[in-house]
Amino acid sequence: MLSIPGANVRCCDGPTRREFLRVGGATLFGLSLPHFLSWKALASANTVNGVQRGKPFGNAKSVVLLFLQGGPSHLDIWDPKPNAPSNIRGEFKPIKTKVDGIQVSETMPLLANQMDKITLIRSLSYTPAGLFNHTAAIYQMMTGYPPDKVSPSGQLEPPSPRDFPHMGSHVAKMKPPHEAMLPFVEMPRPLQESSVIGKGGAAGFLGKAYDPYRLYQDPNKTVKTEDLTLRADVPPSRLKDRFNLLKGINGSMPDLEKSVSSFALNEYYEKAYDLVLSGKARDAFNLEKEPVATRDRYGRTTFGQGALLARRLIEAGTRFVQLNWPAVANGNPEVDAWDTHAANFGPLKNLHCPILDKALSALIEDLDQRGLFENTLLVAVGEFGRSPRLGVSTSGNSNAPDGRDHWPYCYTGVVAGAGVKRGTLYGKSDDTGSSPLEDPVHPTDLVATIYYALGIDPAMEVLNDLNQPRELVKGNPLLKLFA
Amino acid sequence: MVGFSLAIFFFLMLAQPGFEAFANDIRHRTQNREIVSAKTTASARTQAARNTGRGAQLALKVQPSKLVLAGPMDMRRLLVSAQLADGSQVDVSRSATLTALDDRIRIDADGFVSGLKEGESRIRIDERGAQVEVPVTVLPAASSKVSFVRDVMPIVNKAGCTSGTCHGAAKGKNGFKLSLRGYDPQFDYEMFVHDVSGRRINRVDPSHSLMLAKPTMQVPHGGGLRFDLDSRYYGTLLNWISQGTPYGDPVAAQVKRIEVLPGEILMPRPGLVQQMQVTAHYGDGSSRDVTREASYTSSVPTVAEVSQDGHLKTLRRGEAALLVRYEGRFLPVAITVLEGRPGFRWTQLPQHNYIDRHADAKLRKVEILPSEIAGDAEFLRRVYLDLIGIPPTPQEARAFLTEPGEPRLKRSRWIDKLMARPEFVDHWTVKWGDLLQNTRKFVGDKGVWQYREWIRKSLAENKPHDQWVREVLTAQGSTFENPAANFFRIARNPKVAMETTTQVFLGIRMVCAQCHDHPFEQWTQNQYFQMAAFFSAIGVKEGADSQEEIVYLKRNEEERDIKHPKSGNVVAAKYLFGDNTKEASQEGDRRDRLVRWLTSKNNPYFAKAVANRIWSYFFGRGIIDPVDDIRAGNPPSNEPLLAALTKDFTDHNFDLQHLIRTIVNSRTYQLTYRTNEWNRADEINFSHALPRRLPAETLFDAISVATGSVLKFKEVPLNFRAQQFPDPTVGMGGFLDLFGRPQRDSACECERRSDVSLSQALNLINGATVSDAIADPEGRIAQWVIAKLPDKKLVEELYLAALSRAPESNEYELGLNYLAQSPNRAERAQDLMWALLNSNAFLFNR
Repeated sequence: MLSIPGANVRCCDGPTRREFLRVGGATLFGLSLPHFLSWKALASANTVNGVQRGKPFGNAKSVVLLFLQGGPSHLDIWDPKPNAPSNIRGEFKPIKTKVDGIQVSETMPLLANQMDKITLIRSLSYTPAGLFNHTAAIYQMMTGYPPDKVSPSGQLEPPSPRDFPHMGSHVAKMKPPHEAMLPFVEMPRPLQESSVIGKGGAAGFLGKAYDPYRLYQDPNKTVKTEDLTLRADVPPSRLKDRFNLLKGINGSMPDLEKSVSSFALNEYYEKAYDLVLSGKARDAFNLEKEPVATRDRYGRTTFGQGALLARRLIEAGTRFVQLNWPAVANGNPEVDAWDTHAANFGPLKNLHCPILDKALSALIEDLDQRGLFENTLLVAVGEFGRSPRLGVSTSGNSNAPDGRDHWPYCYTGVVAGAGVKRGTLYGKSDDTGSSPLEDPVHPTDLVATIYYALGIDPAMEVLNDLNQPRELVKGNPLLKLFA
Repeated sequence: MVGFSLAIFFFLMLAQPGFEAFANDIRHRTQNREIVSAKTTASARTQAARNTGRGAQLALKVQPSKLVLAGPMDMRRLLVSAQLADGSQVDVSRSATLTALDDRIRIDADGFVSGLKEGESRIRIDERGAQVEVPVTVLPAASSKVSFVRDVMPIVNKAGCTSGTCHGAAKGKNGFKLSLRGYDPQFDYEMFVHDVSGRRINRVDPSHSLMLAKPTMQVPHGGGLRFDLDSRYYGTLLNWISQGTPYGDPVAAQVKRIEVLPGEILMPRPGLVQQMQVTAHYGDGSSRDVTREASYTSSVPTVAEVSQDGHLKTLRRGEAALLVRYEGRFLPVAITVLEGRPGFRWTQLPQHNYIDRHADAKLRKVEILPSEIAGDAEFLRRVYLDLIGIPPTPQEARAFLTEPGEPRLKRSRWIDKLMARPEFVDHWTVKWGDLLQNTRKFVGDKGVWQYREWIRKSLAENKPHDQWVREVLTAQGSTFENPAANFFRIARNPKVAMETTTQVFLGIRMVCAQCHDHPFEQWTQNQYFQMAAFFSAIGVKEGADSQEEIVYLKRNEEERDIKHPKSGNVVAAKYLFGDNTKEASQEGDRRDRLVRWLTSKNNPYFAKAVANRIWSYFFGRGIIDPVDDIRAGNPPSNEPLLAALTKDFTDHNFDLQHLIRTIVNSRTYQLTYRTNEWNRADEINFSHALPRRLPAETLFDAISVATGSVLKFKEVPLNFRAQQFPDPTVGMGGFLDLFGRPQRDSACECERRSDVSLSQALNLINGATVSDAIADPEGRIAQWVIAKLPDKKLVEELYLAALSRAPESNEYELGLNYLAQSPNRAERAQDLMWALLNSNAFLFNR
């Protein structure tokens, strides 16, 4: 298009991709066209059409992210390598799943039974710049950007208002819920590596208005939601009176009301009022309303009840729920993160995997039965996998002979719902689970896929704190993931 | 008639949404038949104009009045304007018909003229019956050599290849990296010609070069189609490769400056258009019309939008700036769009000082009528919040409102009283604490109090701005003995020290220039390091106390210098602008030189930056806004006003209090927020007060003043107000952070947020801060209820406490009715206070 001398066109700084796609024929939805139509798709530009692209784009209304902090061992959970040497394959045996030809580790028997509803991405992979610590990897997974500042000790800086926003914050801003509901909820604990807490878990340069609602409580105990609950001395009738009064007071200064209308204060007040009064959010947090059998099915653990809570929040209208595998679990101090530098097998088999297996399989089954998968994207993933070889050091940490170190070069994630193919694999790892053999997926591609499923153009430009234009995420949505 | 029917077809297609691509395609295909079509359609239009009888006495003006073309590569456009019968001038560059009167020249559809044969020629220009001829001289082609710097880079830039989201990204794109917006042509040349073993160029068969195949989509290209095979761009690139990819003379082919026509745009009404013309002047004295390759940005696209071929269209009444960029050079063009305002009549309000004279001059020019002067109650609350960061107590409000005397003098007296109060120092300590990033994260528990105390003392003494900036920037020794040295604990390396210095004290953002030349400014990467070199000898080491550090000058030659990341060479300290010829020595403490230059009365940025910043604290926006992003593309909304403010500040030896006093005494500051029919839409000319959400600390303290409830934070002494807190670690994660208190992570004014969110609304209606304060048994409400205040008095006190004014009669009625509805007076009074604290009138400084 730029070949037209004098023609009225914009450059790459503008909405280029949209422009060039018009050449192909159609402007989809009149909205934004992500650059998922990357090279390959464009190579066959003639066959590119709205139908092909349109289907999974915007399929999801909400996202549940189960974040398995610490880096779960892919070989011991969902990518078993029975034919690898013993110092790689470990102690566990593979088991059959509901889908012919797909096996998972014996640590996940319940998940095996739900395999027909999900896709396993077995080719997640990236090469970290510099030290590969947890926080840098978490930051990348949550924001889609590598952190730009790592302190001399290899630690990241604490969260800063200049950080890239968590994807949930972008979602909260771009796709706010229609009803009075919390747009973005994070629980039950912030992500943490030593003294750096919550890096990548905030709205950064979008401003605190888009921070997650942080429910840092153990959902396996009674959840207290004081700020969503009217105080004892303010029954609903009194709050109503107060609001009427407020309307009267604001109404007596109509000029002022007009001149502050751009702040949308009234709209926020109405939403807050509904939120407090309708009790929708409060109810969502009330797990007592679930049948005992359901609660038992998810497992009476922090993570299990958190997964159930995630489902309830999605049902109530929340856009983005992030359930963190807590670094120090509230419920059981023995079960810490997935960071198994030592004693990889015992804890995985007896503590971690049973909790994960129960919670994850229950959530998959539940979302499916309730029809919520239609527009809910479920993702379960950690910040990296673990070294295929036992007892070696890859991150500079010391590892026990029965431990596995950090391994970002190849790991597995679970994706389901919102049109994602059922009962299949995406990508393939090599014989030792060391690197992808087919279709490598960068974590930023996964982030792009999440945006894409929500109907947000991953290539759209956002302005950072310095007003520099940046892509929402520099990744490509995994189109083949969708049915 | 082929061209004509095509043009109609094209027009019809354009009218259909979604068909732009197709229409563009058509337009593209027609370009080879351009002369025919341009002539036919335009003459049809001329005919139509003639028929309507309009513009019979039309006079055409052409710029330039004669064209000189150096061969076929030299293409230039003419600007044609018409003087209409009513005397107004309109740009008709696009609608006028250009006809070549012989075959020596060629005219493209977009009006570009190029020479085909050497000699004298003429162009005839027709527009609505008027006609004018322009002589053209076609010189022999200077050279048909295509050079990388002069010919290829502009194409690569214009096609978007070097943009930040494409190959100009820090890590490039798909294994191919170019410099951002082509600021480093040498690097880009390497990438095109030599990177990946020269695979991007095919010297045997130039047309098979990857460099051509990619942007034309002969092979898959992530960036899509950038230009077509039969385009001018393709031709130039092909030529360049065929000629052996010459780089060109870096000096002769360098763009020295650009020239933009017209230099200023004043439109009498929206809807008018203007074709821009951009000429680049090169190191060898030659020039070229680069209108097609320049890039254009409108600062306010809703006022004026501009296409990437320099065609500007005004959309609504207002002001904007057009930034024109070409090969690292740029020029801003001011745009003013007026609109007939029948019935507008200027009414002169009293002018208190020079501020009002300059504000009025601008307002008259753009036909905006300022609001009335605010009433006493409105003024009082505003001036309290702005000067001392807390609202007046009911007693103070009553005293002011009942004090007799000439209003202006009375206000002036109170301004002086407020500025003498300790809270004035507290309030401004918060602002400077933000900018100097005083937080224990950087300077420790003791340091944060010491630095705060040092800032307080400087403000209390009213230290001249240049003096305290000097004290900060040249500080050394123990941070215990000289707390100003904490600056270098926070800005621990020369780059950060330089970035903070330029951003806070000059309003210039240098941070982008660390990695690449600033895309929208003149600052280069070299300058970034030259400026940083002023700080490169500063060291920070541990002191005797674990919380103490020593700022010192490094002695070791090796460690004293900063190296350029690309060349690895030591960079000599040089000023960002001004005279660098004197004082070339790098010896001694370079900071002394820096500060002399920085705080000089002749430095065009120093006084301006702080004057503008201080102004913004009283008006909610700077005359240049954002205040710490002063650059060509971000011009002041009122240049003479800012200049006068700057001069006054300089003339008074950088006296901050004088500056503040002048601002708050001006009528411009004292206007009401209530708008009239002429200034409703104005947000940049200070024709009325703009309500601002209370900043976090002020909001918190105002709740305390209103309710009489004292807050308690364990980290600070009892009775400390939020604006006395030394840093954001006090009450971290609570109310103050929710309402946008800066974390002091950077020196950017943007860290303080004044937006409104759902969480804030939730907190205000149902959170502990407000709920506890209104129910405080020691608070005002409890006392009033115990004292059995009569209803009317109670309502009055509530309004005075929350809004610093007595209620109006309808507000009395509302309050009295509410109280009467229930026997529980305490609850009802609390409800009234709750509603007042949640009202717009309380949450905003207006």
